[in-house]
Amino acid sequence: MTDPDHDLEQALRALRPRPPGPAIAARIDAELAPPVARRGVVIAWSAGFAAAAAALAAFVFLAEPVEPAAPTYQLVRADRSRPEVQLFRPVELADGSYARPVRVRWEDTTRWEDARTQTHLIDYRPNDRLTLLPLETH
Amino acid sequence: MHDAHSAQDWRAWFAENGARLRLIARQWTRSEADADDVLQEAFVRFWKHQRHLPGNPNALVVTSIRRSALDLLRRADRRASREKIVGDDMDTVTWFEPEADPRLAALAESLKLLPAEQREVVVLKVWGDLTFDEIGEQLSISPNTAASRWRYAMEALRRNITARTHD
Repeated sequence: MTDPDHDLEQALRALRPRPPGPAIAARIDAELAPPVARRGVVIAWSAGFAAAAAALAAFVFLAEPVEPAAPTYQLVRADRSRPEVQLFRPVELADGSYARPVRVRWEDTTRWEDARTQTHLIDYRPNDRLTLLPLETH
Repeated sequence: MHDAHSAQDWRAWFAENGARLRLIARQWTRSEADADDVLQEAFVRFWKHQRHLPGNPNALVVTSIRRSALDLLRRADRRASREKIVGDDMDTVTWFEPEADPRLAALAESLKLLPAEQREVVVLKVWGDLTFDEIGEQLSISPNTAASRWRYAMEALRRNITARTHD
């Protein structure tokens, strides 16, 4: 069976989204690249401290009981429920114009997981917003 | 597309995928500037912590984008006054490179006119390379609902570009 939407999907794929500006790449670069000065310091001092650090680490880990590592959570899901919209009767505002109150309710749920300990963190947030939509009167 | 699992240089991967990721971010943000912020935060998190995780890297990066977009919306909601209607630059900014083909140009404009719930399914399928199952996971809807929204969107796009190209 042929897909009737195939031609349209191919046309959509032919559209070229605008690329992010160079400023975004620069901002990402600043966050991902290790600082050059710090890298130089690390290289200069690492040889001298390597032996001392190894001895210290051996002392610490052999002398003290090893505590379990803290859990490291990774985001696994971020969900938003379908919003529930309530429209109310139009109201007259103080300036004589009219507006319709609208109430929107939805829930946001984000979930993190630590694969090692099989533990989860779930952040559930119900949202309830009331706003006024201006109405034009003729 | 290069596999993010094995990619070493983020610049090459971002150069290849940044445009479509930004379009995805734009579906859940109120402005171009917000989309940039979301893309930056989500990409850095994905590259530092998530790209080596098992599974489809596309789905992982889309999840990261959605998470950042929801966080930004929450922060913006706290700032905005209760009655204020937040402005949106959706009508004034083009999402795609200019097209000489009038049918493609009409298609690019028509995409914006779709209801948001249909448009996000189209963007996730075409530029997110996600299946209906994966789209359902992202949006907390069933795969059948995702497929149904896709069909409605295709019908609407077909109607719209036919009308525009005959004007």
